[in-house]
Amino acid sequence: MTPLTPSPSPTKRGGQPAYNVNIERRNRTGNVWRWVFRASTIVGIIALTALILNIMNSAFGYAALEAKVDPATLTVDGLPLEQQSKEQLVELLRSKLSKGAFNKLDNETSFEERSRANVLQVVNERIVRYEVVQVWTLWTSLTKADEIRAIAATEFPTAELKFISWLTTDFVTRPQSSEAITTGVRTAILGSLWTILFTILFAFPIGVGAAIYLEEYATDNWLNRAIRTNINNLAGVPSIVYGILGLAIFVRTLEPLTSGELFGMVDSTTANGRTVLAAGLTLGLLVLPIIIINAQEAIRAVPQSLRKASYGLGATKWQTIWSHVLPNAMPGILTGTILAISRAIGETAPLVVVGASTAISFDPESPFSKFTTLPIQIYQWTARPQAEFRSVAAATILVLLVMLLSLNASAVILRNRFSRKY
Amino acid sequence: MLRKTFEGEIQQLKDDVLLLGSMVEQAILDSVEALKKRDVKASERIFAEDAAINKKRFDIENKLMVLIATQQPMAHDLRLLASTMEIISELERMGDYAKGIANINIRMGDAPLLKPLIDVPRMAQIGADMLHRALTAFVNEDVEMAKSIPIQDDEVDALYNQVYHELMMFIIQDPKTIERANWLLWVAHNLERVADRVTNICERTVFIVTGEMKEIKATDDEFWKGQHS
Amino acid sequence: MTQPSTERSPFVLETKDLGIFYGDFRAVASVNIPIERHKITAIIGPSGCGKSTLLRAFNRMNELSTGTRIEGEVLFEGENLYHPMVDPVEVRYRIGMVFQKPNPFPKSIYENIAWGARIHGYKGKMEELVESCLRQAALWDEVKDKLTQSGLALSGGQQQRLCIARALAVQPEVILMDEPASALDPIATLKIEELMQELKKNYTIVIVTHNMQQAARASDRTAMMMINHERSGTVIEFNETQKIFTNPKDKRTEDYVTGRFG
Repeated sequence: MTPLTPSPSPTKRGGQPAYNVNIERRNRTGNVWRWVFRASTIVGIIALTALILNIMNSAFGYAALEAKVDPATLTVDGLPLEQQSKEQLVELLRSKLSKGAFNKLDNETSFEERSRANVLQVVNERIVRYEVVQVWTLWTSLTKADEIRAIAATEFPTAELKFISWLTTDFVTRPQSSEAITTGVRTAILGSLWTILFTILFAFPIGVGAAIYLEEYATDNWLNRAIRTNINNLAGVPSIVYGILGLAIFVRTLEPLTSGELFGMVDSTTANGRTVLAAGLTLGLLVLPIIIINAQEAIRAVPQSLRKASYGLGATKWQTIWSHVLPNAMPGILTGTILAISRAIGETAPLVVVGASTAISFDPESPFSKFTTLPIQIYQWTARPQAEFRSVAAATILVLLVMLLSLNASAVILRNRFSRKY
Repeated sequence: MLRKTFEGEIQQLKDDVLLLGSMVEQAILDSVEALKKRDVKASERIFAEDAAINKKRFDIENKLMVLIATQQPMAHDLRLLASTMEIISELERMGDYAKGIANINIRMGDAPLLKPLIDVPRMAQIGADMLHRALTAFVNEDVEMAKSIPIQDDEVDALYNQVYHELMMFIIQDPKTIERANWLLWVAHNLERVADRVTNICERTVFIVTGEMKEIKATDDEFWKGQHS
Repeated sequence: MTQPSTERSPFVLETKDLGIFYGDFRAVASVNIPIERHKITAIIGPSGCGKSTLLRAFNRMNELSTGTRIEGEVLFEGENLYHPMVDPVEVRYRIGMVFQKPNPFPKSIYENIAWGARIHGYKGKMEELVESCLRQAALWDEVKDKLTQSGLALSGGQQQRLCIARALAVQPEVILMDEPASALDPIATLKIEELMQELKKNYTIVIVTHNMQQAARASDRTAMMMINHERSGTVIEFNETQKIFTNPKDKRTEDYVTGRFG
């Protein structure tokens, strides 16, 4: 920019220097602040990237696997395991497993119904029984592959060295097992979904209802003000406290309800209230204040002019709320709900207190099933001493992240549909 | 007080009207003076004066238009501006009367006056005086003063009647004087009209202040009866 | 409310010593003005003199904010609007309102109009009602091809006419307008004013305006409001509009309409 010609007396008014314009310095200050803000953003991005890289680092890499029974000894008619037919594999199982164990497998899902891949997996799990003896991180695997091979060759001469992605479709669809290499998160995914379903069913209507009452109906007296303030406070209560509350109310006091006793639907494996339903309700309680606050904000953000327009036409309060306030607040309410649900999905502590099971291999099938959830699994696996479980945990974290993102995405789509309607 | 600018412009406008008024006043007195002295050159100057009066009138009218358009006057302001429009038009007409008198003087050529002028200059004097006071009342928005002025119109009317009767006598005595008598009669008539228009100005002044549009009846019937009987 | 008596007074609305309170503060005091049938009555006055408050008292919109109460009466066809047995919903159904800022519903143009009729159980053909309301609001030709578009997609002036059409859809007897053109450009403003002249054939209109030219141009009667010594707004002069703007009786009205208030 070419500088303007200086005005005759830019700094003098009535003989006194009146202004120190100094645009250059003001711009410099502005630039400094811009860099400060940019740096903050960069720090945030670095932190997130480090998190992702760390997880990736554990979720993929070389692993040394040792078989209890060498697969080479299991060839039939010179065919290796991978090429045997389903019938041959079933025969193998029948001969190598105890009768009781075989029947149990057959009872879970009859062998006729199982696919060949499934049977092969069972063979691998029950007969070959691979065990992880050592894992390496992705970074080491990529940079020091030769060293790894040398170590594996000297220390675990019988072991097989494989580059493993701990996150596989099998991992997602397999139930939990005690071996890192054969374990899966299907139980936990279903547990999370069941729990969240009840969280939403419980917290969304109640939260929105309470918000409507507080914003549209409640008069401005001390009681209602106190309620509003306390809802805000409740949102800040540590989640473990909700766990304790859930334990007292849903697991113990309401046991007949949460265990399904009232409906005569007690799950054979569950003798008390530590069920999906109890967990869902506990998480519902946890996110209720968040939903109420966000819904209140959303309802408050509906322009007063819309309400006036509606009343001006002779609409009743309920007609106004139903036709104008709620539809216009819905995108905001849904955004708040998304936030709340995201939080609920990631919660661990209250579920530990409420009594999530850590090692179950069967899927939750009703509100009254025992359950585990993804964060519980992560928590449990990271607490194990074996290095391979850290890799399992990392893979589980990735599953959790994907699930969170897809839940959020669907909620965003839903919200946009609401917004676009108008 | 809000609208300082507008107030200032109204003051300016009133000053302009006063100026126009004094030009007209001067023209009336000058025209009669020229006639009295049979000074044709002086009468020709009146024509120039009248052109100046017309120009001034259009100037003021323009200013008024701008004020009405830009200030959107209401109530008193509206009455003032609308009445001023009327008043300057009255003033311009009065200027025309002066020009008419000057024109008569020129057209009379070498013919001498039928009689020495006594009542006619008096009429001019009273008319000019009325005009002066009417404009003072207008500028000060003085209702009482404005209402008192039209009474003088009766004096002018009386003088006019007197002149009229006198000239009639001349014509009856010697019909050959009819043209010269007629000239003088026109002069007297013009002056009588001046006083009438001053009355209009006074009515406008009363309207500006009170918002009532009424004729001021100075001339009561008694007076006229007295004159004609 | 019962049916209006067969012998109707020329006044649709009438206030009797009306006072309006916000809590303990008397915002409007002792207003006695009649609203004439099929006339446009303008309420003018400086900011904060209670014009809009008075207007909202005519259809009990004041009650939407807490802590307001009134003294005196507002008679609608001879009946007190504030009688305990009167439901404000019915009051607002019969006395419609158009607001300062155009506030169409964020719905389609069609829905904007149909909604009000629907909530009051309109039984006729909705398409015809929508068209007739839009025609009355001089908006039909501009929007007839885009009835399904959002009302918010219209220009400010069109939005305000949509709001007027929306008010017409419930067939009110009186339409209250709270500075209906203050957010609009001059052309849109003139359109609204023209529209008001059409509407007064069938409706009674009360309009609050800051714009004195608008009151002068568009109204038949004008009520001039001013703060009294107790800081309550009250009507200091009520007369035919042309009287108010050419020759007001009250010095304060004079000062206000000539722009010398202050």
